Amino acid sequence: MSEHTRRLDRREFVKLMGALGISVAAGGWVWNEFWAHDDPVGEANAHGGSGPYWAMVIDLGACIGCERCVFACQATNDTRTGHLWNIVLRDEATFGSPVFLPRPCMHCEHAPCVEVCPVKATYHREDGIVVMDYQRCIGCRYCMVACPYGARVFNWEESDEENPMTPTWGTVENPRRPRGVAEKCTFCAHRIDAGLERGIRPGYDRAATPACCVICPTEARVFGDLRDPNSPASRKMAGRQAVVLRPELGTKPRVYYLLPT
Amino acid sequence: MLSRIRQRVDLFWAWIGVLLAVIAVGAYAVFLILSKGLVVTNLTDGSPWGLWIILDLSCIGVAAGAFSLSALTYLMGQEQYRPLARVAVFVGILAYSGALMSLILDIGRPDRFWHGWFFWNIHSMLWEVTMCITLYFLVLTLEVFPMVVEMPVFDRFPWLRNLGHRVHSFAPTLAIVGMGLSLLHQSSLGGTYGVVVGRAALFRPTMPLLFIVSAVAGGIAFSVHVTLIVQWITGRLLVPARVLLQAGQMSGAVLLIYLYMRFWDTTAGNYGYVPGRTEAFTTLSAGPFALTFWTWEILLGGLLAAILLIRARFTGSIAMLLIGSGLTVAGMVFNRYHTTLLAFTEPLSVNPPVTDPLVTDYTPAWTEWASAFMIIAILTMLFSLGMRYLPAFKGIQVDRPLEERVPRLVQGR
Repeated sequence: MSEHTRRLDRREFVKLMGALGISVAAGGWVWNEFWAHDDPVGEANAHGGSGPYWAMVIDLGACIGCERCVFACQATNDTRTGHLWNIVLRDEATFGSPVFLPRPCMHCEHAPCVEVCPVKATYHREDGIVVMDYQRCIGCRYCMVACPYGARVFNWEESDEENPMTPTWGTVENPRRPRGVAEKCTFCAHRIDAGLERGIRPGYDRAATPACCVICPTEARVFGDLRDPNSPASRKMAGRQAVVLRPELGTKPRVYYLLPT
Repeated sequence: MLSRIRQRVDLFWAWIGVLLAVIAVGAYAVFLILSKGLVVTNLTDGSPWGLWIILDLSCIGVAAGAFSLSALTYLMGQEQYRPLARVAVFVGILAYSGALMSLILDIGRPDRFWHGWFFWNIHSMLWEVTMCITLYFLVLTLEVFPMVVEMPVFDRFPWLRNLGHRVHSFAPTLAIVGMGLSLLHQSSLGGTYGVVVGRAALFRPTMPLLFIVSAVAGGIAFSVHVTLIVQWITGRLLVPARVLLQAGQMSGAVLLIYLYMRFWDTTAGNYGYVPGRTEAFTTLSAGPFALTFWTWEILLGGLLAAILLIRARFTGSIAMLLIGSGLTVAGMVFNRYHTTLLAFTEPLSVNPPVTDPLVTDYTPAWTEWASAFMIIAILTMLFSLGMRYLPAFKGIQVDRPLEERVPRLVQGR
């Protein structure tokens, strides 16, 4: 018992403090190295932020359900059949006549997938787009459980499927993801980045705009910066009634749907 | 005499042989899963979690006996629970190994299992679970270590045994740390579901509480249950019947508290129409899950289990205790099963009403069953070996043939 209650002498105290100091320094380094740089909740680009506020605006009145956006997405991002990033849902029951609802990733401001990912493999970029780090994902699929929109798919196997949509609907621009990781729509972030590097503007210039919006024959689906009043997205939204999916969840999607007029 | 010993030895190894056969089949399934990927399971984008997660949650649940009984023994000074706590801690470390095994199978990239320790997302319930499970596994290892080094094999290494004694002198500290970690992550497993805002069936602030309370009831019950079975088979007395009855009654009381909480959670949480949640509750109580929900979760694994466990103490009936504790564990396992699958049976989106593509149905594939049974067989084998060879579970030999033991145990003397 006496061994446990013995007091520290000076030498031990100095040693202990030294060890404590080294641990704190090491901890700080580890913190900086691995964790400090991310913004998991991702409000950097939200209201009051600066920089472009990328958004997609989908006109439900103009969508004819041709599914070209689905084909173009599959071609461009090399997704596998049955595990698509972008789908078109069809609803006939509500209005009697068919209504089509294209559903990409909503790129929520308060994205449940980003909040639940145990390893920060999915995160908000500086500009607010939700992307994945396929090298970090452990494949736990909690993000798929958490996503309120069913916008995530999983690589259940190594895919050797030939892309059925190329070259008719586009060319592959995104490397195929490895087995065992989750994946999702990126708002064609690679196009946005490459475009901005070349000095062209996403939304205005086809090469810098998501493939699904470029191919849409009825311009039902447009992309742009909502902070820029002249962007195609802003102009499309002007004067129209816009809704987001499941607003009650507070996820604040960046995909807006315009109700038929 | 000799023939009887021979017979018993043979039976034991025959039992191990059966388990090894199950493990062999499972190993083939695991080989398929690891080489071909999760495509060989019935998991889909629509129902991404299945049997392995249910197994994981059940394992963690039955392991709750370890921290509850350790806390009772080492922190609240209820010394009489010490032998039962030993069994519970041994069950605990095995169950946690099982949980870790099923998670390794479940994640798509088992080679990256360590990412959770390096890339922290402190907002994620699953990250919290990862950290707590790993740390608590360490605590359990430290708690079991002194038991293992008591084996005669380690006679040659006195320093190891000394280390064991040293570690054991920290038992109260370990109990505190273990209780903290367990309280955190048993609840955060419920929280893992409870925070999923997009799935109304799960999104309930009560989930963490319901999980921890049912785990305490189920965990203590499981320890009591396996102790009774081991005593019955080996004819050794590990834990006095009085203590088992006491622990059982405690488990029954906790189960009643759980049922009470569950009742109000269901009643108040489903008042009026809540989109998604109301449909989920209908599916649970009147849909495809209704039969298992009402019989196993509520009637048998809930009310009857609680009554049996509490009555057993007053009547001294070991049979009641055995059935009651078994039913409690079954109720908990069914609860985890319903909770997990209900989430994916319900449509994701009710606004706008596009439901069809998102409704899913899931039945585990044979690979999932085989690998799950493999994990259970590995745990059972290790448990059997531990009960046979660890000096901590020597107990008191009551040398009587099996047939005579049954009525004695039923009478509880």
